[in-house]
Amino acid sequence: MTASERSAQRRAGDHALVEFEGVEKYFGDVHVLKDVDLEVDRQEVAVVIGPSGSGKSTLLRCVNRLEEIQGGEVRLDGESVSAPDADINRLRQRVGMVFQSFNLFPHMTALENITIGPREVRGVPADEARERAQQLIREVGLDGQADSHPTELSGGQQQRVAIARALAMDPDVMLFDEVTSALDPELVGEVLDVMRDLADGGMTMLVVTHEMGFAREVGDSITLMADGRVVENTPADSFFDQPSTERGREFLSRLL
Amino acid sequence: MSDAYEGTTEDTTAGTRGLADDTVVRRIGELATGLFAMAVLGFLGWILVTQVDYGLLVSVFDRFVEAFGLVLFIVIVSSVLSVSLGTLMGLARISASPLTSRIAKGYVEFFRGTPLLFQLFVIFLGIPRAWPYGAFPVEDWRVPAAVLGLTLNHIAYVAEATRGGVNAVGDGQLEAARSLGMSRVQAMRKVVLPQAWRNALPAIGNDQIILVKDTSLLTVIAVPELLSVFRNINSNQFDPWTPLVWVCLFYLAMTVSLSLIVSLLERRADWEIDDDQGAWLGRLLGSFSSLGGRR
Repeated sequence: MTASERSAQRRAGDHALVEFEGVEKYFGDVHVLKDVDLEVDRQEVAVVIGPSGSGKSTLLRCVNRLEEIQGGEVRLDGESVSAPDADINRLRQRVGMVFQSFNLFPHMTALENITIGPREVRGVPADEARERAQQLIREVGLDGQADSHPTELSGGQQQRVAIARALAMDPDVMLFDEVTSALDPELVGEVLDVMRDLADGGMTMLVVTHEMGFAREVGDSITLMADGRVVENTPADSFFDQPSTERGREFLSRLL
Repeated sequence: MSDAYEGTTEDTTAGTRGLADDTVVRRIGELATGLFAMAVLGFLGWILVTQVDYGLLVSVFDRFVEAFGLVLFIVIVSSVLSVSLGTLMGLARISASPLTSRIAKGYVEFFRGTPLLFQLFVIFLGIPRAWPYGAFPVEDWRVPAAVLGLTLNHIAYVAEATRGGVNAVGDGQLEAARSLGMSRVQAMRKVVLPQAWRNALPAIGNDQIILVKDTSLLTVIAVPELLSVFRNINSNQFDPWTPLVWVCLFYLAMTVSLSLIVSLLERRADWEIDDDQGAWLGRLLGSFSSLGGRR
């Protein structure tokens, strides 16, 4: 596809929700993303896997510009996120982010963590924000924990509050950055269950994870990264049954 | 203490040996501190019995109260100004603008890097002398100069405490707030600063206690503070100990109350402690309480 074809397509509204095009990223002299192309369609669950240090998390963090890129473009719904003049505070409202280390606000209750975004950024009235937060708290299975502070919650509960916090902004896409890696093994399931419900509800998700069972079951597409490059990008079923690249076969064989 | 150890140290000889060592160290510590306390209390008792003239003590009380009133006024004004402006200076210090942060760093380096005594002389003697519009308009410049000197000096220390408090808040907090679409200012105000405030409070409190004691330097710019009253009395009566009793008690009255205020504020700013102790103080200090975390 040529550039003019692509921009014509974009004007027609026929574009993926999240698009990476020739993305280059450096940390100082280290080249961490090399000519990355990737598309995430609406309602798709795109799972990014790969060895540590392969650039998965960095890739994810480019979507809401927690990382600046040095080349190429990242677009959300056809609009550039990476352009110098991008209205990033507005674009970030459409992107929910969940972190490996939760990053809940420790001085607020679970409920306040969830209402702060809508109230502060959108000016939603307190009652309305609280009502929506209560509903989200029920959806992530934390009835009765609304007034707990993060330190009073288990890791799994904290991560579910963090998911609810991101959902409170009614995002178009959710980013999950190794959200179960910091959890005790017995708490991983409750977080994955919430993510599975979200996927079933049609949420567009970009998920960096080491949970291969989840990737296979919930993922629509698998992107394998290695050394800052996308080495394989295929439907989930075919990846796990028959990886098309040597790197893919190698990666899978090491997991088994 | 030994109870707490019994459950954890198993029956190994190494464990028993460690327990014995701990007990010995603890006993040595108790002996040393006990002897020290006895020596100090003995000395104080001896002074109070043999050196203090109680008739004089009562008769000079009013003069100390007068000086105390002035010192308290200077402390309160300088404290409010240095904490509020120092917090702003600390924010300037961590500003994303290199210009702002360099200016703030220059300020801190100067006022932290030169003696308060020097700064007081510059303000008290230097400014009226350099006044370009004829006679210096302030008739009694002593107290304004004192407040100005203490404030400018302690802004530097409060700024450093604030900077440390903000830096101790993890990057993840700012990232999480920005990810929700908050502007940098919103994220600082709602997420970073309430946590930074808790982190910085002990250091700010420490500095404000030093501010109280720094008022003793004001004697050099002729402010009639507590130590200048002491010097007058001593030079007339040749009795150092009697007036020193009042100096000690009035300074401790200020520093101990300040300690108490700071620990109440710390308790209130600590979201992990769920009680209302210190809430009255937060209400009293209106603007501070909004930084106190709980809503």
